[in-house]
Amino acid sequence: MKILVVEDEKGLAESITDYLSREGFICEVANTFWQADEKISLYQYDCTIVDLTLPDGNGFDIIQTLKKIAAATGIIIISARNTLEDKLKGLEIGSDDYMTKPFHLSELNARVKSLIRRRNFGGNNDMTWKDIRVNLPARKVFIKDIEATLSKKEYDLLLYFLSNIDVALTKESIAEHLWGDNMDSADSLDMVYSHIKNLRRKIVEKGGKDYIQSIYGIGYKFTAS
Amino acid sequence: MKLLEKASRIYLLASLLIYAAVGIAFFWIIKFMIYDEVESRLMVEKQDFETYIRSNDTWSNNSYFVENKIEVVPVFGKFDNKVAFTDTLISNRYDETADPFRQLTFYTLIGGSPYRVAIRKSMIESYKLIEAISAAMIAFLGLLLVSTFLFHRVLSGKLWKPFYDSLARIKDFDWTKNKPLETVRSEITEFNELGDVMEKMASKMQHDYRSLREFTENASHEIQTPLALINARVEQFIQSKDLGENHTYWIEEIYHAARRMSRLNQGLLLLAKIENQQFTEQEELDLSELALKKLKDFEDILQHKEISVTVESSGSFRKIMSPALADILLTNLINNAIRHNYNGGELRLQSGTDYVQVSNTGNPLKSEPERLFERFKKESTGAESLGLGLAIVKQICDNCELRISYQYEEPIHSIRITG
Repeated sequence: MKILVVEDEKGLAESITDYLSREGFICEVANTFWQADEKISLYQYDCTIVDLTLPDGNGFDIIQTLKKIAAATGIIIISARNTLEDKLKGLEIGSDDYMTKPFHLSELNARVKSLIRRRNFGGNNDMTWKDIRVNLPARKVFIKDIEATLSKKEYDLLLYFLSNIDVALTKESIAEHLWGDNMDSADSLDMVYSHIKNLRRKIVEKGGKDYIQSIYGIGYKFTAS
Repeated sequence: MKLLEKASRIYLLASLLIYAAVGIAFFWIIKFMIYDEVESRLMVEKQDFETYIRSNDTWSNNSYFVENKIEVVPVFGKFDNKVAFTDTLISNRYDETADPFRQLTFYTLIGGSPYRVAIRKSMIESYKLIEAISAAMIAFLGLLLVSTFLFHRVLSGKLWKPFYDSLARIKDFDWTKNKPLETVRSEITEFNELGDVMEKMASKMQHDYRSLREFTENASHEIQTPLALINARVEQFIQSKDLGENHTYWIEEIYHAARRMSRLNQGLLLLAKIENQQFTEQEELDLSELALKKLKDFEDILQHKEISVTVESSGSFRKIMSPALADILLTNLINNAIRHNYNGGELRLQSGTDYVQVSNTGNPLKSEPERLFERFKKESTGAESLGLGLAIVKQICDNCELRISYQYEEPIHSIRITG
C-alpha cells in the first residue's frame, strides 16, 4: 500500500510518514506543490494525504489533477482551515475525507485504513484479528465465532482499536473519535472509561482475551501481548 | 421623518406665519387709510358746520346735510372742550339692525349757549370694502401658498432624486462581496462629491474586510500547524515502550496544554469570524427542530450523567440565518447546559414560535449574571472549560438579531433565545 503525504511542514510530514510506516504503509513525502505534481504524474498511490495550503500552490489543484489521472486513489485532506466552504469544496472535487489540524495520528491512521478498505473491497469484507472477526457491512462482531452484541459506540471503539493495533491511544483521541470535536469536557473522558470497561467485559465474556491494556496517565493500547 | 417631508413642513409653517403677518398688516393698513379718509371728510364737514353757524348763529335739522346725521345737544354745566373721534353703532331707521358709524364730537356755541355737536358718517360701505379686499387677499395668498408649496415639493423631489438613488445603492451594498459600490452621478456637485467619498469608503471597507479575513485564516493556519506538530510528536513519543510514570505525567500535561491552546485558538478565530460577518450564507431554519436534533447527538453524555431530558414544544421557531452559526449556537447552548449540570440533574428544552429555551439544574452562579456572556468568564475552575462557549452564543445572537436572556430560579438556570 503506497501513500503520498503532501505537507509543507517537514516535521509534521515526518511524523505522519513515521506513524503510517509502522502500520506497514509505504510512504512518500512531497513538501511542495511541484514535488507533489511530479510524483502523482509519475507514480501510483493507494491513498494521498493533501494539505490545502502549500507555499507554491493550492492543494485543491493537486486533488483535481489526481482525480483526472488516477481516479481510484483515495484522498484525505488535512487542513488548518475548518470552514464549511472548504470542506464542501473538498468533497465536491472528489476528496474522500477532511481532517482539521491538529488531528490525532491514530485517527488519521484509522481513516486511511477505512478508506483503503472501502476502495479495495467496496466495504464488503470481514476484518479479522486474532480471535476477533468483524463483519463490516453488517456491523457484527464475532469472538471465537460467537456473536457479541455491542452498542454502536462500542463497535466504533473496537474498530478504532483494530485499526490501531499495538498503538498507544490517548483518551482524548478516543473521545474525539467517538463523539467528535464538540464534546470536549471532562465527562467524555469518563465516558471513554465506561465504554472501554463494557467492551472489555463483552470480549472476555465471549471467551476472548483481554486485549485492552491501560497505559497510566495516557490512555489505552489494544495488544495481544 | 423624511427630508422632503421635513422641509415641506418647515416651509409650510414659515409661509403660513409670514402670510398671516402680511395679511394682518395689510388689513390694518387698509383700515387705517379708510379711517383717515372718513375722518378728514368729517373734519371738512365740521368746518362747513362751523362756517354755517358763524354766518347764521342758529341750527335746525334742515336738508343741508342730507347725507349725514348731525346731532346737536345743548350742554349744561361744565364740559371738556375737545374734539374726539369715536366708533358708534346707530340703529337703522328702516330695519332693526345697528350700523357702524364714525362720529366726530366737538363743542360749539350757538346763540351764546354751548352745544355738543356730533357729526356721523356711515362706515357700512367702508366695511364692505375692507371685507372684499380681505377676502380677495386671503384667496390670493392661499393660492400662492399652495402653488409654491407644490412647486417646492416637485422641485425638491427632482433635485434630491440622485441622492435617494445613491442611498438605495448604499443600502444594498455588501462589503463581504466583491461588487464595488457605484453611486448615481448627477449635475449637482455636492452629490457627486458625496458619491465619491462613499465609493472610496466602500472600497476601503471591502479591502479591509478581505485583509482581515485573510489574516484570520492565515493566523489560524500558522498557529494550528505547529500545534499539529506538537500533537503528532507527542503521539509518536508515547509509543515508546520505556516511559516512566513521571514521563507520562509530563507528556500528558504537554499534550493537554497543546490541545487546549488549539481549541482556544479555534474559539477565538470563530468569534473573530462571526464579528467580521464571514458567515454570509442564509437559510430559513427551524431552530426548535434543530435543537431537538442536536440534543440527540448528546444522548451518550446525557445518559452517562443520568440527566433527565424534557422537551416541550409549542410551535416551530423559524429564523433566517446561517446554518453553520445555528449549529454552533445550539451545540454551545446544550453543551453548556450539560457541562454545568450535576449528575442526575435535569435538562429542559422548550420552544415556541419565537423562542428556544435551554434550562438546566446547576449550582448558583458565583459571579454576576450580566458577566455570564463575557469572554473567559468561567464558573468552574476546571481546565476543561475555555470560557468561550457563551461568549460565542452571545456574539451569534448579536449578529443574527436574536435576543438572549438568562434567568435563575433555584436550582434551574435558563438561557432563552428570542427572535
